[in-house]
Amino acid sequence: MSDITIGNEHLDASWFLILAALLFIIGAIGILVRRNPLVILVCIELMLNAVNLTLVTFSRQLQNSEGQLFALMSITVAAAEAVVGLGILVDIFKDREVEDVDELSELRG
Amino acid sequence: MSAALPLLILGFPIVGAVLLAGRGWRWPRTLTKLVGPGAVWLSFLVVLAAFYTSSYGDFTYWRWIKSGPFDVPMNLQLDHLSLFMCLVITGVGALITTYAVGYMGHEDDPSYARFFCYMDVFVFSMLLLVLAGNFVFLIVGWAGVGLSSYLLIGFYYWRPSAVVAARKAFVMNVVGDVGMILGTFVLFFQVHATTYSAVFKAIPRQDSGALELAAFLFLVGAIAKSAQIPLHTWLPDAMEGPTPVSALIHAATMVTAGVYLVGRLHPLYDVAIYAHAAVALIGAVSALVAASIAIVQTDIKRVLAYSTMSQIGYMFVAVGIGAYSAAFFHLLAHAFFKALLFMSAGNVIHAMDDNQDMRVYGGLWRQLRPTSISFLVGSLALVGVIPFVGFWSKELILGSAFSAGGNPVAVYAWGIGFLTALLTGFYTGRMWWLAFWGQPSERRPVAHPHEAPRVMLVPVIVLAVLSTVGGFIQTTALGLGPHLVDDFLAPAVGVFKAENPFALVLGITTMLLAALLFLTAYLFYVPLGERVAGFWDRLAEVSVSHPRPWSARFPRLQLLLERKLYFDELYDAVFVRPLDWLAVEGERFFDVPVVEGSLSGVATLVQDSAGGLSWVENGFFRRYALVFMGGAVLAGLLLVFIASRG
Repeated sequence: MSDITIGNEHLDASWFLILAALLFIIGAIGILVRRNPLVILVCIELMLNAVNLTLVTFSRQLQNSEGQLFALMSITVAAAEAVVGLGILVDIFKDREVEDVDELSELRG
Repeated sequence: MSAALPLLILGFPIVGAVLLAGRGWRWPRTLTKLVGPGAVWLSFLVVLAAFYTSSYGDFTYWRWIKSGPFDVPMNLQLDHLSLFMCLVITGVGALITTYAVGYMGHEDDPSYARFFCYMDVFVFSMLLLVLAGNFVFLIVGWAGVGLSSYLLIGFYYWRPSAVVAARKAFVMNVVGDVGMILGTFVLFFQVHATTYSAVFKAIPRQDSGALELAAFLFLVGAIAKSAQIPLHTWLPDAMEGPTPVSALIHAATMVTAGVYLVGRLHPLYDVAIYAHAAVALIGAVSALVAASIAIVQTDIKRVLAYSTMSQIGYMFVAVGIGAYSAAFFHLLAHAFFKALLFMSAGNVIHAMDDNQDMRVYGGLWRQLRPTSISFLVGSLALVGVIPFVGFWSKELILGSAFSAGGNPVAVYAWGIGFLTALLTGFYTGRMWWLAFWGQPSERRPVAHPHEAPRVMLVPVIVLAVLSTVGGFIQTTALGLGPHLVDDFLAPAVGVFKAENPFALVLGITTMLLAALLFLTAYLFYVPLGERVAGFWDRLAEVSVSHPRPWSARFPRLQLLLERKLYFDELYDAVFVRPLDWLAVEGERFFDVPVVEGSLSGVATLVQDSAGGLSWVENGFFRRYALVFMGGAVLAGLLLVFIASRG
């Protein structure tokens, strides 16, 4: 097991990974059980950041900065994605006040 | 300079056609009147210039296609034969297009421009046909005249009968086109050349079987275009077109293309003796059959159509026995008098409110004097009465056939031709007496007809004069006098040498008998009460009872001729019905179950499977997410499982 050192603290890498996995699962469950579109967007952000945490963890563990670069990239994309997603939501809200994503099911087959 | 002349001859009509096609429908009518006939007149002037400057030659302008041994130059051959044809086409064509300025006057502006556009296209194609210096351009011109004929027969496209007639003419002509193309292939396969000069130079060295095959294939093209048996049934129906079209295309020029073809390919036919004999036989049979059918037709233009077929039969006899210049003399004569007959008939039809049934005319002699005189001139030329042009040319052909010793076909051809001449006298007389003599019919559509306007009368009178004096350029039918046509065409087609000691006697006898039958028709077709008292009246009392005694006496023969020897019915039974049957049964047993079945089977399959799968697209976003995540988890587990095994 390799430790990760932050300041003077040494911590095992698996803690970070466990935290990331927990965040990911919380996000995923949130997406599945919540109906408010805004909350779903927040949950997506949560899942994305869980992945970012994983990337950074492995980057530190392997002493390779590519993972951190990738995390930065992913944060940028997440920001862009949040803009688009919120934009769509605002547009839909202008049309009708949606409280439940299940109402947005016009494209069913 | 002289190399530019053929291009100019071709250029004026095609430029006229393009202008009319592009802008004609919005032009003022005056401009259409100038451009349409003007293009042909200019072309005629260039032909005259070429004639007076003797600008002969085989001009190669550029290379059209070169692919291995297949080498097609763009060359035009202006020799005595093609110049002769050009004179006929542009000369008669200019007169007829001028006449059409008046005849087509009732059309609206777009149709008026369309008509002259098609006419100019026709003149261009016909000139290309005769000027072409190789077989490829010959076929281009050949197909071009077929196309313009189709367009002009179907000119009144709102009439179903005109559309059917146009289609029939096109299909029949395509049969001929296939013959032409195959014939060209055979020659190319043999000599690897496409120009006339190269092919003819190589002909003496070739296998005679291949030459016979090529000659027969070209003959198919010739008989289709010239409406000879058995590909003649389109010509009478082609009378659905406007009358100037019938005069120019279906009498004076296009239908004589078959004669030109055999004359142009005479080095081939001189060697291919069986095909050459077939030309004469087909011509003779066609002449007789057409003349006999013409006796019972009641539509004035159809009578003229059958007489055209019959006269072209004479030309085929002449080229078939090798008397080429006689054939082309008759072609010239026929262009004069048949265009004259059609245009006078057009004047009559115009005056009769477009009714073409001769039985309802009667008595036009007193009301349409200039047209009647012109029609009489044309009729006498058709019968072959001295001194009209038809006498000199027809007797020249009959005399050549009679005296072509050593050619057994020629003698039969003479016999049939002689019989045809007599029938010609009779049906022409019938037409003349029925339409112009006697009292006006009670069923006549117009009681007081008006003579045609001057623009329609002048070309008719010009042709009447030409039909009267035109024969004196060659009077060798009587064994004496000038022979300008022979001399002019000798460099192109050679001289037909046959001494005919009986020429004078035979010619005069044929003429007298034909003229007698012309007069005899008076007894049959002018009712007793309307006859001029005198000698013929007394003869009539001993003649058979009136009306239509012969049809009553031989009803079966009458029916046989009225149904045109059942050629249409035969083709219907042999070609049309089986193909119809094949189409219907094919639809039922192949198209619907196999073709349509397989296609709609695929469509049904796709539709059903899509319908079956559509329940997964329920539109609930969270359920998609669940499935997606479940799938991701399953994939992850699978990876772990595989990793632990390996």
